[in-house]
Amino acid sequence: MRKFTFMILLVTTFSTAIAGGYQVGLHGIRQIGMGLVGTPLTLDASVLFYNPGGLSFIAPDYSFALGVNGIRSYTAYKKTEPSLAEALTDNPWGTPFYFYGAVRINDRFSAGLAINTPYGNSLSWGKDWIGRYLIQDLSLQAIFYQPTVSYKINDKIGVGVGLVYATGKFELNKALPVFNAGGEGSINLEGSTSKIGFNAGIMVRPIDGLNIGLDYRSAMDMETDDAVATFDVPVSLQGNFPNTNVSTKLPLPANLDFGAAYDVSDKLMVAFSLNYVFWSSYDSLIFDFEKNTPALADSRNPRLYSNKMIVRLGTEYKLTNSFFIRAGGYYDPSPVNSDYFSPETPSLNSVGLTAGITYLPVEKLAIELSFLYISGQEGERTYLPDNFSGTFKTQTYIPGFGISYNF
Amino acid sequence: MKNYKILYLFLIAVVLTACKPEIESFTPSAGNADFTTYISLGNSLTAGYLDGDLYRSGQQVSYPNLIAGQLKTVGGGEFIQPLMYDDIGFGRRLVLNLNTVRDCFGQPVDGVAPSLGPFPLAMLDPKTPDPKNFTNSQELHGSHNLGVPGAKSFHLLVPGYGSMNPYFARFATGAQISVVEQAVSLNPTFFSLWAGNYDILTYALAGGEQDSLTSVQLFSYAYSTLLTALTANGAKGVVANIPDITNIAHFTTFPYNGLALTNEAQVAGLNAAYAPLGIVFQLGPNPFIVADPGAVGGLRQIKSTELILLSLPQDSIKCKGWGSQKPIPAHYFLDEGEIANIKEATQQLNAVIESLAASHNLAFVNVNAIFNNIRTGLVYDGARFNASYITGGINSLDGIHLTSRGNAIVANFFIEAINAKYESSIPLLNVIDYPGIIFP
Repeated sequence: MRKFTFMILLVTTFSTAIAGGYQVGLHGIRQIGMGLVGTPLTLDASVLFYNPGGLSFIAPDYSFALGVNGIRSYTAYKKTEPSLAEALTDNPWGTPFYFYGAVRINDRFSAGLAINTPYGNSLSWGKDWIGRYLIQDLSLQAIFYQPTVSYKINDKIGVGVGLVYATGKFELNKALPVFNAGGEGSINLEGSTSKIGFNAGIMVRPIDGLNIGLDYRSAMDMETDDAVATFDVPVSLQGNFPNTNVSTKLPLPANLDFGAAYDVSDKLMVAFSLNYVFWSSYDSLIFDFEKNTPALADSRNPRLYSNKMIVRLGTEYKLTNSFFIRAGGYYDPSPVNSDYFSPETPSLNSVGLTAGITYLPVEKLAIELSFLYISGQEGERTYLPDNFSGTFKTQTYIPGFGISYNF
Repeated sequence: MKNYKILYLFLIAVVLTACKPEIESFTPSAGNADFTTYISLGNSLTAGYLDGDLYRSGQQVSYPNLIAGQLKTVGGGEFIQPLMYDDIGFGRRLVLNLNTVRDCFGQPVDGVAPSLGPFPLAMLDPKTPDPKNFTNSQELHGSHNLGVPGAKSFHLLVPGYGSMNPYFARFATGAQISVVEQAVSLNPTFFSLWAGNYDILTYALAGGEQDSLTSVQLFSYAYSTLLTALTANGAKGVVANIPDITNIAHFTTFPYNGLALTNEAQVAGLNAAYAPLGIVFQLGPNPFIVADPGAVGGLRQIKSTELILLSLPQDSIKCKGWGSQKPIPAHYFLDEGEIANIKEATQQLNAVIESLAASHNLAFVNVNAIFNNIRTGLVYDGARFNASYITGGINSLDGIHLTSRGNAIVANFFIEAINAKYESSIPLLNVIDYPGIIFP
C-alpha cells in the first residue's frame, strides 16, 4: 500500500527532458547504468518498453521492476555579446518513474504491462529573465500505459507488440509585453489529452551469448482542442486578450532502435545500440485560439526539428554472483535547429556518461543503482522569429534507484 | 568490502549534482576612448522629455542616462541630470486613460464603452508641482545631461539662452552662459550630440505655417562650431543625425481619408454643397476637406500623400464639421510642398552632420536609417516594435518623443556606434528591462 502511495506521488510530479528534444530515456536502472543501451538487452522486465520481442526470453515466470530517477538539470544562458544578461534555470527535481510487470504464460507466450514516462520536460527560467516573452516556465508530461504480448517463434527469434495508451498534460507561462501600473502581463496555457500508439520489436539470438534487437515505437501526436489560455493583462486590454480555448498539438516522435549485446565471457557483457528518433515531425508549435482579436492572432512558432541518431555503448561486469557493475556512454545530437532554438526546450548536442550497480541480497531480488551525467555542449543558438540569441550550456545529473523481483 | 567502496562513489556523484554549468562572462572594455566624464547635448529627445512633458521618471530613462549607466562598466563616472523634483512636470504630461465618450454637448453617451486614449494627467489627478521645478537650482549646475527641450542647433551657441528657454534656465550656471560653454566647462572626456531635430520639427509641428526651417548655412556654422568647441580639449564623442520626421507617429496616425460618411443624406448634402468645386463624396471613408489658399474657393480635398498632425482636435472633426463642412486649417496638416521642404532639409542637414562627424573623427549614428527600419518593425527578445502610435511601443503618447523602451533602443544604437568607432566593448542595454506604455 505504501508503495502504491509512492507511485501516485510520482505521477503528480514532472519529468525533465534529458535526451534530445523532450524525450526522456530513463526506463530501466540497469539500462541506464550501461549507456541506456536498451533494445538488445534481456536483463529484466524493462524489455517491455525497450523491445517487446525480448520478453519471451526472460527466464523467470514472474518478473517485476520498479524504479525512479531524480533529475537535477541546469541550463545556463548568456546573451549574445556585448551584453551582461545571463540566466540559469531553477528547475524542480524531475522524477520520471517506471513500473514493469511480466508473466510467462507458457513456453511461447509472455505478457506484461509497462507504465512509464518516455516524454517530459520541466523547466523554470523565472518570471523576469530576458527570454520571458518566449517562456517563463513549462511542465510537460506524458505517461504511457502499455499492455504487451510476446511470442517466441523458436529458441532464436522472439517477437512482441504492445498497445500504448498515452496521457499527456502541459502547462506553460509566458510574459506579454503589455503593462499596467502593477507590471507586465502574462499568459498561461494549460491542457491535457490522450492518444493510442504501439510498440513492436523483434529479438534474435543467432548464437549463444549474442542478442540482436530491433524495436519501433510509433509516433503519437498529442492533440487537444480544449486547452485553456488565461490572460493577465491591463483592464483596458481585456477585450483584446479574452480567455479562450486553444487547439494545439505536440508530436511525440517515433523511435527506431537497433542494437546488439554480446557475452564476451561468463563475467563480461558488451552492448551497443543505435536509436533513430523521427523528430522532423515537430515542424511548428501552433496555438490556435478559439477567440481571435486584432491583438490575439493564432500563434505559429517554427521548430523545424530534424531526425537524429543517438549512438550508445555499454558494458556490464559480474563481480560476484550477487554483484554487478556497469558503465556506458552515448552521444545524443540535438534535433533542434540552431536558428530556431527556443529556450522552452534547450536541447544541445549532449554526451552522457553512466555507471550502475546491482546487488542481489537474495536470489530473486535485485537492488539497483544508477548514475547518469549528461553534458550539453556549450553553443551559440538563436530563435530568429523573436530575435533572441545567446550561448547555452546544460548539465544534468540523474541518480536512479530501482528494484526488480523475479520468481 | 570492495562493494561498499563503489557505494561511496555513488554518494560522491550525488553530491556533484549541485555543480552548475558556467559560461564565461562578458568582459566590458573602454577600447581607446576615455569615458570618465561623459556629457550629452541636444534637445528634448536628449533631455528625456516624453508623453508631452519633462518629468523626473521620464528623465531617468533618457537615452544619455541609459548610456551613462552602461559606461559605468568601462570607467564612466557619475552622470548628473537636471532632474525635475516630481513626475508632474510643466502640466502637459499625458497618460493613457479610459476616457468617457461624450456627445457634442459634452454629455456622456449612455451605453458606449469608454475609449482608450491619451488624457492630460493634470486633469485626471490635479496636484501642485514642486515650485523648485521652475527655478534655477544650484544643485543642478553640474548637470552632465545638457539636453534642452525645444533647442535648435544654433540655440546651443546663444549666450544667455536660459533667459529664452525655461528648461535651460533651471540649470544654467550663469545669466550669460550658452549651453555649449557650460558643456565645455565640465571638461568632458566624451560627449554625445543629437541636435538638429527642432531645426525641422518646429516647422513641421506648425503644419509648415509658422517658423522656418534652419538654413544649411546656419546649421553648418552652428554644428561645426559645436563640434570644434566640444573636441577642443581632445574629447571623443558620438553624433547622431536627424530622423525623417514624416515617419513618426505625430504625422502618420490620422489617415488622410478619415472622414467616415455613414448615411446617404450626409453624402447628398455634402455633394450638393461641394458640386461647384467638383468634389464628390461617397459612403465610407473620404479624404478630409482642407484649407488651401492656392485652391479654388480656398479649399480642396487632402491628398493621400499629405499628412495630418496628431494635434488636430478630434471634437472639431466630430462636432464642428471640420474636414467636411469646413476645411481643416492649414496648420494641422503638411501639404506636398511642405513635406518636400522637410525631406530636402533633412537630407541637407544630415549631409552636414555626416561630413562633420567624419572630419572630426567621431562615431556616427544613422538614426534616420534606423527610424526608417522601425516603420517595418524591430524585435528585441520577443518584444515587437514599430512606428505606430501607442501600439508601436517606441513613440510616447505625444507621438514625437521616445518611450523608455524607445530610449533604450536608441541608446543601444549609440553604444553600437561607439563600440564600432573606438574598439570598445560597452554592454548593450536589455531593451525589455524598461517598461512600455502604461495601460489603465
